[in-house]
Amino acid sequence: MRIGILSFDHLHAENYQDKLRKIPDVELVGFSHENQREGAEYAARFGLRWFQTHSELLAAGLHGAIVCSTTSNHRELVELSAIAGVHVLCEKPIATDLADAEAMRDVCTKHGVHFMTAFPMRFASSAVALRAIVQKGDLGKILGINGVNHSEIPTAHREWFGDRALAGGGAVMDHTVHLVDLFRWILNVEIAEVYAEIHSGLCVSPMNVETAGLLLLTFPSGMHASIDCSWSRPASYPRWGHLKMEVIGEKGAVAMDSFAEYVTLYSPGASRNPSWVGFGPDPNQAMIEAFIKVIRGNRKPPVTWEDGYEALKVALAAYQSGELQRPVKVTGAGHRRDR
Amino acid sequence: MRVGIIGAGTMGVVHAAAWGTTGAQLAGCFSARKSQCDQLAELHKIQSFSRYPDLLEQVDIVDICTPTATHKSMVMEAARAGKHVLCEKPVALREEDAKEMIDTCEKAGVRFFVGMVVRFFPQYRLARDLVTEGRIGNVTVLRLRRISYPPQKSTDNWYIDEDCSGGMIVDLMIHDFDFARWLAGDVQRVFARRGRGDDGVAQYSQTILRFSSGAIGLIEGGWVYPPGIFRTGFDLSGTDGLIEWSSDQPDPVSILRSREVDLPDAVGLPDSGLSDDPYALEIRHAYEAIRTGKPFDVTAEDALRSLRIALAARESLETNLPVEL
Repeated sequence: MRIGILSFDHLHAENYQDKLRKIPDVELVGFSHENQREGAEYAARFGLRWFQTHSELLAAGLHGAIVCSTTSNHRELVELSAIAGVHVLCEKPIATDLADAEAMRDVCTKHGVHFMTAFPMRFASSAVALRAIVQKGDLGKILGINGVNHSEIPTAHREWFGDRALAGGGAVMDHTVHLVDLFRWILNVEIAEVYAEIHSGLCVSPMNVETAGLLLLTFPSGMHASIDCSWSRPASYPRWGHLKMEVIGEKGAVAMDSFAEYVTLYSPGASRNPSWVGFGPDPNQAMIEAFIKVIRGNRKPPVTWEDGYEALKVALAAYQSGELQRPVKVTGAGHRRDR
Repeated sequence: MRVGIIGAGTMGVVHAAAWGTTGAQLAGCFSARKSQCDQLAELHKIQSFSRYPDLLEQVDIVDICTPTATHKSMVMEAARAGKHVLCEKPVALREEDAKEMIDTCEKAGVRFFVGMVVRFFPQYRLARDLVTEGRIGNVTVLRLRRISYPPQKSTDNWYIDEDCSGGMIVDLMIHDFDFARWLAGDVQRVFARRGRGDDGVAQYSQTILRFSSGAIGLIEGGWVYPPGIFRTGFDLSGTDGLIEWSSDQPDPVSILRSREVDLPDAVGLPDSGLSDDPYALEIRHAYEAIRTGKPFDVTAEDALRSLRIALAARESLETNLPVEL
């Protein structure tokens, strides 16, 4: 099976190329990247075939493509892929606005290609275990959820994360969607309302996006969940950040720290010293393998376009709430999804 | 100076012990619950008073550890009798009451200290010192957690009666509202959510604060864990650094043994490890300030402002809207 990576704009492309190489019978054809200097650099660094335009990579004949461009460019690349009949795994958030997201759904439907949203945390063994505990009902009535997705400010790795036009926003856009997706997946219910306080001041150099946000989400039952999506880990933190969740029920609580499996490394030359080096399976591996299965079996993706869309809606509602300084209803919330 | 303890429940017992570390003389105790009062008197070899005015005649300072709903009348009576007052948190159930208490003490010329004890926990004080020294730049996002179990008192469980204690948000979360103010200054806007168990007691709340400085904070509080489990923690991020601490971190001494079923205390109090007992630090500070005429590190006005945040959180639950202060 022939897979390509459309753009190396997103940092995750570096991880995905490594994971693709580990899957038997998958050929990583190469990547496309339209910035000449960067393209040459990534090609050399990862030993990959570089295509100077996206069309050239698609013309090489692919079964599937992973879209890793800036968020604002997802639509163009998804359209190119769909028209070429190539199935898509699209980096999150799937778009910077709902119109682009809807256009992506339409073009994929029209050309009969699958669209999978890249939410790797669903494939993390910790999240799978947490979901099983919650769904078994052992916690009794759930009284609230605390969610944390912290990281360092990502602009040191890719500058466009700090550009509203390309990323659609900062920390809220970048991190909200992961936890929203986990909440929806664990509870099997949509989010009804969002309240957000958004902060721009964590960075010394001026950026035109927010660097921190605290969200309180409300579900149709009245149950609430928080999301701390802040880029609030310093560059010297022993790891990029973390993803944590605690589900608090009447009969007990369950706490998840998805990256708790690590060893502490002290190594004077390292960029982080000490650094937490993770062990155990990388959820990205399972996510990409799931995408390959979607293509092989021509089956519905385990994470759909709708999942990406609903998460985006919550992030956009958070911005609206931050501006209006009041809770905002998430349109169309409250329906149980068809499963 | 002679001190009288008012109330002989969980906090009365803790405070009485803490007074033993000062140079003050514990003179007596008074409680509406006679048998508890006698027990406490017996333990410290002090007099058990059956009337509050009788105790007031015998002391210079009263330390009020009664249920919150009674704080106002107890404080007012002591102030009018010209006695210095220490009072457990929350200062009162309503802002107007707290203001009246502060005014009355001022007019009577007596000192009024409210026991916001978290400020005397060594890790909280260290964090505040680090922030004040500028070690993390300006505070921008703070996360504070204080999740305990539902109060277990088998009789007279006044904590669970909102009219008596103010409920979990006023009784428990007020600690972190106060700590938040200490770190990041005055709060401008409050938005809260809460989930409650079918018994009406088990509850978990998350409250978002926006500070006048622009900083934001998430405060978690709960009476929700299984009995005996009490977790606290803070995560303070600034423009130039980060401070993390959690009660999940190992203690300096851990006893490793097969798990036994220990009966939990009726009301969870956070453990401060091997460091100085924060309650003793608190009482010693208040006593020294009264004795020497120096200002308190935490004022009754601070206690009032923390109460205001807690009441705003409760109001937000009712209105489903943020509350501006």
